[in-house]
Amino acid sequence: MGIYELSFIAFGLIVFLSGVGVVALKNPVHSALALLANLTLTAVLYLSYLSAPFLGVVQIIVYVGAILVFILFVIMLMNVRKEDITETLLSPRLLFGLGAVVVFVAQILALNIFVSGSAQGAKYIHAKDIADLLFTKYVLPFELVSVLIFAAACGAIALAKKRM
Amino acid sequence: MIPVSWIFALSVLVFATGALGVLIRKNAIVMFLCIELMLNGANIFFVGVSKMRGAAEGHIFVLFMMAIAAAEAAIGMAIITAFYRRKGGVEVDRADLMKW
Repeated sequence: MGIYELSFIAFGLIVFLSGVGVVALKNPVHSALALLANLTLTAVLYLSYLSAPFLGVVQIIVYVGAILVFILFVIMLMNVRKEDITETLLSPRLLFGLGAVVVFVAQILALNIFVSGSAQGAKYIHAKDIADLLFTKYVLPFELVSVLIFAAACGAIALAKKRM
Repeated sequence: MIPVSWIFALSVLVFATGALGVLIRKNAIVMFLCIELMLNGANIFFVGVSKMRGAAEGHIFVLFMMAIAAAEAAIGMAIITAFYRRKGGVEVDRADLMKW
């Protein structure tokens, strides 16, 4: 096991820990900042290990630049107070959630042993390769997504109006 | 060479962290952030498969998922804003109108 594999393990551990931070931090603003760390580190993962440079850049622009800033605006608009999650320790809700998630992870990881094969060498997938497929074979879903986003924008305005 | 099962394990761990957050947190906004975390884990899985097969299809699905996540964020934040205005808080325990 060389330095490349070890660096992937360390990097994956940091990604996982930032995800745990989203769940475990009490203040919602801190949770949102942990999610920012997670999304940015995932973009770096795409760029460095998974040879997807276009997706890494799009992840930064769309997730971090649009969605997360939007969520942070809403959090600061609402003046959300801190949630006390320490008193829920050993509550039925926490025990049920932990049990379900641990069973799920154990099943998937046990199946994962049978997956063989390694990530191929440096075959980068650039924007041209994505566009070749997106605008020929998947052009109908692409147009439908634009209709969906338009409908979502109209629905959001209708929901957030003052007088419902 | 990274074994592809490591990438799958990372994506499953990120997804399970998000699922745990949705199950145990009470704050609606933090639950929403955890849903984004689950989507991110699924994205890592798709890009890992695409890397293993050397094809671009996984990238296309990830692009679609980002667009749908943006639409979902708009709708979800509108619902949370309306809920906050009506109930005075974003804890999901306050939504007990149809509770038996």
